[in-house]
Parts: sequence; C-alpha cells; structure tokens
Amino acid sequence: MPSDEVYAEIQSAVTAGEPAVLATVAQTFGSTPRKTGAKMVVRRDGSFVGTIGGGCGEAEVWQEAMDVLDGGAARVVTVDLTEPTDGEDKICGGVMRVFLEPLGRTTAAL
Amino acid sequence: MTPPDTPPSDMPRVDESLPARIAQAILTASRDGPPLVSCSVIAAPEALGVAAAIGDKLLVFHDGATLGEIASGALAAAIRHEALAAIPRHAVETAAFTPAGDRIDGRRAIEAAGDVIEVLMEVVEPAATLLVVGGGHVGRSVGEIGALLGMSVVVLDDREDYANTDRFPFADQVICGDFASELDAFPINANTYIVLVSRGHKVDELSLARVVTRGPAYVGMIGSKRRTRTVLEHLATDGIRADALARVFTPIGLDIRAETPEEIALAVLAEIVLVRRGGSGRPLSPPGQALSGDI
Repeated sequence: MPSDEVYAEIQSAVTAGEPAVLATVAQTFGSTPRKTGAKMVVRRDGSFVGTIGGGCGEAEVWQEAMDVLDGGAARVVTVDLTEPTDGEDKICGGVMRVFLEPLGRTTAAL
Repeated sequence: MTPPDTPPSDMPRVDESLPARIAQAILTASRDGPPLVSCSVIAAPEALGVAAAIGDKLLVFHDGATLGEIASGALAAAIRHEALAAIPRHAVETAAFTPAGDRIDGRRAIEAAGDVIEVLMEVVEPAATLLVVGGGHVGRSVGEIGALLGMSVVVLDDREDYANTDRFPFADQVICGDFASELDAFPINANTYIVLVSRGHKVDELSLARVVTRGPAYVGMIGSKRRTRTVLEHLATDGIRADALARVFTPIGLDIRAETPEEIALAVLAEIVLVRRGGSGRPLSPPGQALSGDI
C-alpha cells in the first residue's frame, strides 16, 4: 500500500497544478519487487516520492516519466525484469506493467 | 464533512476542478476511510470504438456514489459493479473488459480475446491495523508477522517490560497502560484486526467486552476450547450481543497444529489473511494428493 506521503504528494501536485507524473504498478507477473498498486510520483526536477521497486526497473520507468512530463500522453510501460542487465544478477525475475499518468496539468482538458 | 459553499475570504482558494476533487477524496480515504475504489483506464484500443481513453478516472465510493466518468452504458455499469465488489476483498488489480462490459480474467483468456479495455482498480483505505492485546511471547510474534504482512501494528500491555519499543521495534505504536481505558480510547473500524493474547483469560475477557461490539474486521482470542467458552458465556450473561460474540474467532487461528509462539502467530495471521481476502483455509492441492486424510 502506498504511503501517506505519496497520496499527499499527488494531492498537492494536482491542486497546485505542479507538473508531475504518477507511476503505479498496474499488474505483475512472476516475482517483482513491489506489488500491484505501488506508486511513485516523479517531479519535473527529476526527484521522486515513493517507490515501485528500487533498482529493479525504476530507472526505465523514470525515463518514460520524464517523457510524459515533456508533454507525452499517459501510457503503460512494461518492465521486463527477467533479463539480467550486464554485470548484474537476475534479482527480480518478473514482469511488471506500470501505468504512467500526468498530474497537475491544469491546462489539460479535464 | 462538506465544506461550506462560500469559504471565508481569508481561506486559501479551494481548487474545485475534477482532478483536484478526485485527489482530495483519495487522500481522505487513505487517511480516515471509508474506503473508495479508484478506477483508471490503462488500455482502451481505438478499434473497439468505446468512449474511454487512457487516463480516464472514476471514483466509486463504498455507498455506490461516484465521482468522474469512465465509458458509458453496460461497460460503465460493469466497471462500477466490479469496483464495489473489490472493496470487501481489499483488492488492487487490473481488470479487463469487453466493450459489452463482460469481465475477462486470466492472462490467456485476455490474450485470446484480443483487444480489451483495461481498468486499474485500487481500493483506497487506511492501512489495516493489527491491535495486539498482550505483549508476551505470542503477542510479539503476532506483531512481528503482522508487520511483515504490511499491517500497521499496535501493541497494548499494562506492564512496561512487555510494552516498550525495544521489544516491538516493528510496531507503529506501543501503548503501556490500563487495558480497559486504553481500549475504550482506541479507534476501531472495519479495517481493525484485534488479537487477544494477554497474560490471562481475565484480561482477555475484559478486553473482548471492550471491543467486540465496535465493528472490527476480526477479533480472535487465545485459549482452550473450554476456557474460551466460559469467557463467551460470561460476556453473554453480561448482556453482550450474541451476534457480536458469534463472530469471535476463539480458540484462535487455523488448525496447523501450531505449538511454539511463532507457529501460533503464523496460524493467527493465516486466519486473519483468510478473513481479509476471503479464502477457504484449505490446501490448494486436491484432497488426497499431498496430504492424506488421516494426518
């Protein structure tokens, strides 16, 4: 379950119209570091609140989040943790689908 | 809880846009409840021709009220129905639907169906609280496993040696005080799980009387069949409602022949997960396959 800090961050970003991206684990297959519902808010300066799994796949999601911040659309990113990256052990081993959505764009048609 | 229509001019302006109201409702539900379900469209292939787009959001409140909008017609009704069904399961899951509103479960079935609308449904509610009454060996193990399962653990005992943060580093709160008055002051709701494992059945009895009618998700009390029956009879004589007493899990825990405090705690937490998720308590393997009947 996401921490109070994450929900508070979402609320303040939306209310202040501060651009940010919310990443939520929408689905997992196999062994993943965080379960469905885990959340991370990425701010425009690249800092973030919350975690969707530490080293495992977070960097990939963060990259996509930066693209959403640059005006990209909401999307689902599939993070495959079954392939070990160079020089690293296969620690996590599962696949997770992460939903990315922009927060705080008061100009958006909503 | 409704804010006044016209806030005093010295108050900060309240952002009444839909996203702001949704974010505020989610924050409130996560802190104080009651639970709601946040539904987000995460896939809506254009070929399906449904009036839904990625990022559309709908909140479904526990009483069926809604905020926001996703799709229309049968699909909208199905999403709302599935959202309400998720609340008692405390579920956080992605559900796949056909444009007609039929839910499809399982990765293979979804792949076979081809294009589907996918909705992330998250029950938002305060963290489940595990109130452990009694900080002895069993209480300590119960708290430890509860914390491991992500529950917010609160321990109560009237002895300082058994109610301190050195003994319970994993607890969110350790209360050292009189059982009756501390329990009276403790907030209990439908997401509160209470385990009575104090030093004696007298304390368990007075504790049970303080909590059993206040609508907790679970109350379990340790003790033998005979002793716990006596406690229930006492409370019935004292005028505690029979329907409330009938919901007490006592003797406590699933039957796994637990002996050590750690094993007992495991049996208790297994029972709590069963209540929380709606399981059966039976092995998943077919009868007679791995476990013979006479074990």
